[in-house]
This record gives sequence, structure tokens and C-alpha cells, in this order.
Amino acid sequence: MAVIELKNVQKVYGTGAAEVQALKQIDFKANEGEVVLIMGPSGAGKSTFLTIAGSLQKPTSGQVYINGEDIANISAKQSNALRLNQIGFVLQAYNLIPFLTVKEQFELVDHVKKQGNLNQATMDKLLEQLGITGLVNKYPSELSGGQQQRAAIARALYANPKILLADEPTASLDSKNVDEVGQLFKKLAQNYQKAVILVTHDPRLEKYADHIYEMMDGEMIKKQ
Amino acid sequence: MFLAIKEIKREKLRYGLIILMIFLISYLIFILSSLAVGLASENTQAIESWDAKQVVLNKNANVSMSQSLLTKDDLSKTKLTKNEALLGQTLVVAKNSNRPQVSAQFIGVKKDQFIYDDQELIAGRKAKKDREVVVDQAFQTKGYKLGDKLELNGSANKYRIVGFVKNAKINIAPIIYGSLASWRKLRQGMPNIKASAIISRNANYNYNHANSKTYPIAQFIKKLPGYTAQNMTFQLMIGFLFVISLIIIAVFLYILTMQKMHNFAVMRAQGIPSRTLVAATVSQSVILVVVGVIIGLAAMWLTAKVLPAAVPMSFTPQIILSGTCGMLLTGIIGSLIPVRSILKVDPAKAIGE
Repeated sequence: MAVIELKNVQKVYGTGAAEVQALKQIDFKANEGEVVLIMGPSGAGKSTFLTIAGSLQKPTSGQVYINGEDIANISAKQSNALRLNQIGFVLQAYNLIPFLTVKEQFELVDHVKKQGNLNQATMDKLLEQLGITGLVNKYPSELSGGQQQRAAIARALYANPKILLADEPTASLDSKNVDEVGQLFKKLAQNYQKAVILVTHDPRLEKYADHIYEMMDGEMIKKQ
Repeated sequence: MFLAIKEIKREKLRYGLIILMIFLISYLIFILSSLAVGLASENTQAIESWDAKQVVLNKNANVSMSQSLLTKDDLSKTKLTKNEALLGQTLVVAKNSNRPQVSAQFIGVKKDQFIYDDQELIAGRKAKKDREVVVDQAFQTKGYKLGDKLELNGSANKYRIVGFVKNAKINIAPIIYGSLASWRKLRQGMPNIKASAIISRNANYNYNHANSKTYPIAQFIKKLPGYTAQNMTFQLMIGFLFVISLIIIAVFLYILTMQKMHNFAVMRAQGIPSRTLVAATVSQSVILVVVGVIIGLAAMWLTAKVLPAAVPMSFTPQIILSGTCGMLLTGIIGSLIPVRSILKVDPAKAIGE
């Protein structure tokens, strides 16, 4: 069963002459253990897709299923809980909280989600895989771009979500780091059985994807 | 609380400056409140020490004891119990060749009445003869000693200090307790005058005969010269300080909240509930106010220690409690102003930025 599935999803902004169809009849699904790439130029509707798949906003029409449950019309509170428990976000500018150390970013999750987070042993292993074991007491401003990226991934995985949504995860990385990050997402999907969905316009990530969707003017076509 | 503490720890300078401002405001509030209470107390110290509830004055005296004179006729129907005392008041200048002049209130009392009985001596004894007086401790701080003779209003008669008494000020002036007979001599040339007032410790005491009229003590205190104007001035200043602190806290927190909107959007996207963010903002404000007020209290305590006794400052537990609660309330109200913005944060804004 697909961990996440979108059926006939439409998103319309504005009305009348100002109406913009950001998403047109989108059909999409991703399974556990897969890396799925959503590609397309700026303005194609990638970010809108991500906000709807991540339960950050509601579609105008259509269904969004997470673990088989339609989330298109859930309450704000349920949406919060869903994001906290089932969806991990890795955002474009890494978006770590600037006044928290890497370790404290995880502690923040512990404060609002008391159970079901990664245990210490799994977390240690993940941090080692990410190569940031020695950086847990550093603030984001003390880390390089690549280190911040890894810390953001660790933060997203700490709550043990089923789905990892990443927005332009290689936007500010060089080719060597892009390969490392690509391999890392592949490994995370396989080793931790996550559905990893990468929204990007970076073709260097294609070789790590199990499926690739192309977006253009709000329409989505499965390429691979 | 977690987010609040971590952010303050990380942004020491930024939050240090806010704490500095809260400290300065709370310090000023404590100073002004202490001065207000100190000055008010020096107006009413003696009245409070008498535990007065009602006062009988001449109805034409505009509720002023120093303007009031009660004649034999005015007092002809009065029945004085152990809770009533006759009292004569007049303003005097006390002189002694070796000591500084002191402007004081001469209070003439009768030996068998409670104002005489209740005098709290800190040195010496009570006055037994007409030429003996007991004076407020302010005389002691000005160098006066037991046995010193006072010349009052330049009269030929001299009055010997036989005791010092505490908490004996009225209208900010120290009291010289003497006999009613001495008071009558100081008010020379006024026949049939018996006293300025009757002071009663009985809340139900009521005597209205001839020119006599009974007033509740609160009304009498309110009419003390300058007392209400002085208190209102202080209350206005303290009120404004609270308003200023409310504005400062609200503006600072609002600016800080606006600067953190992206962080809030990220946290909301990560599933952190709005109530956690609101609680962080409110608790941050409470922490800043508590730290600022504690420093303010410490500074105030030191100030009260080093200020000379001549400064009428009274740093009481009530001031500590009300000042602290007032600042806390101000801080909480101030922190609620940016709450609406926090609740309106759109987590979708975290994407694509």
C-alpha cells in the first residue's frame, strides 16, 4: 500500500480574472523504501504540491491519503499531529531553529511528542551515518551548509515519520555534496523504510530516484 | 518554557538589554512607591499610632485640625470614655541655642487619656509637668538630647525634653507632645478654648453640638494639607511607569516575534502546536520580568540601606508584592499582544523560502 497518495488533486488560488490553477488533476503515490523525485522549473507547482502532500494546506478538490487515510479535510489540530508524527520536512534553507543546538532541536520534538521518537541507539547510528555525531552541541550558525543539511535531515527523522518531504535539498550544495546527499536519501529510504519525496530542479539527483515525476504548469507526468 | 530559556541563553545581549530596561522601570517604580508610602506615612504616622477612627472638629475649620478650636460651649455635652481624647494642635518653631531650629507640631494632650497613655517611648519618660515635653525621634537625629530646653515660637517659657517617642509625625512635621494647658498658653489670648479636636478610637463615635462636628478619620486624612495632591501625583507617576513598561515589553516582544515569524512557520510545519509557541512567548516575557524585577528589588534594597534617614522612604513588603505583581501582570499583558500574529502563522510559508 502506498504511504502517500494524491488522487485528482487540484489547487486553485484566487477567483475570477485573478484565478490561478496551481495544481491540475494531480495523481501521485509513493511507497515505503522509495525515493521519489518531483522535478520541474520554478513556478511549475512543486512547492504547492509539497504543501498539500505535507498537510500544510488543503487542496481545492481531490483526495490526499496518508497511510490510507484521507487527510484532505482534517482539522488544523489533526493536521498538526499528522505533521508531527508522520511527516518529516527537510526545507530549502535547512531551517534549523537558530537558537537551539543540534541536540536541542531533537529535545524540542521530545517536548511536544513524548513517545515514538527514535531511541538513543538508533539516533546515535543515524547521526553516525550522517557524519554529525560530534556536532550535536553546535548551533546551526556554527555548522557548514552541508552539516546543517544533515542536521536538518536528522531532525526530520527524529520523530520517526513514515514520509520524508524535502524541498530543494541540494539547492546550495556542490556536486560532491549532491552525490553524498543523494546516496544518503537512498540509504535512509531503504534502511529505515521511509517514503522519501524530493522536490527539486536538480537533475543530478535523478540517479538516486526510484520514480521521477515531472511537473509543468501545475500538471504532473510520471517519467519513470 | 524550553524554547524561552534556550533563546534567552543564546541571545544574551538582546534579552539582557530588555532585562536592563525592565530593571530600570521596576527600580523606579519601587523608589517612587517607597517615597509615596514614606511621605504618606509621615503625614499620618501619629494618627495611625493613635488608632483614631473618628475626629471631632470645629465645623468651620474645613476639616483641618490646626484651624479647629473647640470652646467650652462646643464641648459642653460631650461624654469622653477611655476611647476618646482631647487634643490641642498648633504649629511651632522649636529653638535651642545649641541645636538647629525645628518646625514642629505641638500636640497638647491630657495625662489621663489614651494618647498620653499610648506614647511609645524610645528614651526617657512621659511628660508629667506643664513645662515638660516628649518629642519625636526626628529631634534626636537632629542632635537634641534628653534635658535640652526648647523655646517654642519665641515665648519666654522653656520646655524641657524628658522623652523621645517614635512614629510621632503629622503632616510631615515632628510632634512635640506637651500638656493641653501648655497648648492653651501657646494659643495665647483665646478665652474659653478647650481643645482643637476630640480623637476617638470608636468607629461609631458621633458628637455634633454647637460648632462641633464629627468626621471619619479617612475624610480627615484626605483633607490634610497637600496629602491628596501628593498621593495623586505619585499614583499618576507610578501608573505611567506601568503603562510605559507595558508598552516597552509589548513593543520589544512584538518586534522579536515578527523577526521570528519564519522560525515559527518552520516549527508549525514540523508539527509544533501553536500553543507551544504562545506559551514560549508568554513564559519568555515572565522570565524577563521576573529577572528584571529581582534585580530591581536588590537595587532598591541597597538604595534603602544607603539613603539617609532624612529621606522619607518606606520600602514595605506591600510595595514589593504589589510592584512585583504589577510588573508581572504588565509583562503577561504585553506578551499577549503578539499572540494573535503567532496564531496566524501560516506553516506553508516555511516552504520555498
